[in-house]
Amino acid sequence: MSRLTPPVSERDHLLGSADARVTLVEYGDFECPYCGALHPVIQAARQAFGGNLRFGFRHFPLRSSHPHALAAAKAAEAAAEQGRFWEMHDRLYRRQTELEDEDLLRHARKIGLDVARFERELPARTHEVRIREDLASAAQSGAGGTPSLFINGELYQGPLDRDDVFAALARAAVATIP
Amino acid sequence: MARKRSEAARAAAREIGRVTVIRLTLYYLVAGVLLLCLSALLPQDAIAPMPGQPPADMQGAIDWFRGQVAMFPTGAPRWLDALLQMIAAFLLVLPLAFVYVRTRTRVKFDRSLVQTVIVLPIVVSAILVVVRDSLALAFSLAGIVAAVRFRNTLKESGDAVYIFGSIGIGFATGIHAISVAAVLSIVFVIVELALWKFDFSAEFERTFARLCLPSGADLAEVQELRSEPPKAAAPAGNGAGDDRTVLLRVYVDRVEDARPAIEAVLARDTKRWTLEQVIAGANDPPLLTYRVRARKSVGMDALRERLLREGAPHVVAADEPPPGS
Repeated sequence: MSRLTPPVSERDHLLGSADARVTLVEYGDFECPYCGALHPVIQAARQAFGGNLRFGFRHFPLRSSHPHALAAAKAAEAAAEQGRFWEMHDRLYRRQTELEDEDLLRHARKIGLDVARFERELPARTHEVRIREDLASAAQSGAGGTPSLFINGELYQGPLDRDDVFAALARAAVATIP
Repeated sequence: MARKRSEAARAAAREIGRVTVIRLTLYYLVAGVLLLCLSALLPQDAIAPMPGQPPADMQGAIDWFRGQVAMFPTGAPRWLDALLQMIAAFLLVLPLAFVYVRTRTRVKFDRSLVQTVIVLPIVVSAILVVVRDSLALAFSLAGIVAAVRFRNTLKESGDAVYIFGSIGIGFATGIHAISVAAVLSIVFVIVELALWKFDFSAEFERTFARLCLPSGADLAEVQELRSEPPKAAAPAGNGAGDDRTVLLRVYVDRVEDARPAIEAVLARDTKRWTLEQVIAGANDPPLLTYRVRARKSVGMDALRERLLREGAPHVVAADEPPPGS
């Protein structure tokens, strides 16, 4: 069974409490349609599981097939610099066909970022380094494509529909109850 | 115990407030007084009730019959007589329209039917005043009606009852039997409100189970044993019945530990709820499916949050599945 390597840490983009019974980590690509289809499922899971679920996101831009994916990942990291990673993450998934440079600036404006700062930080080397680290961790963890989900550190290999994902999360949550 | 709480919650959701009953009673009293006053204005010299057996001849028999059923003597001019009957029909059918509006959900509600129910007895009453005792006019009317093709699909078969009730009131007032119309109106209102409040036979399966199963048997457990999927949901809300009733799926660790906590929250924070299904797979955690109608003051988001908080640690997720899932 493939394990998430390295495990979730402070370095990751995380939503939810560290006390949550389940930690779900997604390796995602903002231009990948399957990731886009999974996005509402994960949002619904966050709502349904409440404090029992912590969600983390790691970048896995497939540059060969998705020419805008890397730029979108950098935009998300630039938004993170201003504390708005999740707003940008959600917006990019909702507007997967609007990932040109001017679109990214518009998204930044729409979510209330300091656009001048965003534009200045967008090409920063640090973002690319972080994205490369995420890509390396995906390879180490055994994530073969996008989206790849890890539930409490273990690679989830089932279907990505709502019912199956929810059942897998519930299974993991119940397993932690003494 | 949970089932009893569920039933109590369902009954509470269909509450007929004291105010409603008082208003209806007052309405009937005022309508009765008004009709008596109107009748008092009419001439009193035409038809008086005739005791004894009906006369042998046809005209005498008709006069005797009218005398028996007439609440008001009808010596007034025909237009005034017709007006009185139509006003009576209108006053006595209004409670039916009220009951229709009160007992129908937004999805099932048909505005045109309300208007039809109100206007129909007025028209029927007027037609009967025109026809009076004339066989020739009655046949003419039948011919005219036969030539017109009425076809309308009612949203609910129960709506037809309102049409019949409305026609009945119009018919009764049209033959000057206002007392009969009043009784029909009152009985109709009482029966319809009672059927609605007690949700009589609303869920065939439960009624059937109640008849066939031992006292205290849990329908959800029966469904589980039968390994049948829940019945197909209607395309409303999230597919669970009327527009504010939704399915709520609750993932738990152990059914027997989780249910008391879940159902305490549902009894407190929903207008009504029923346990639809329990799925306990070999590998997956148990999944309880409830049909709930949340209180407006609480809402589904808050309900989910309370289930997670108060059901902890047994409740791990509370999901409101999207329509059609």
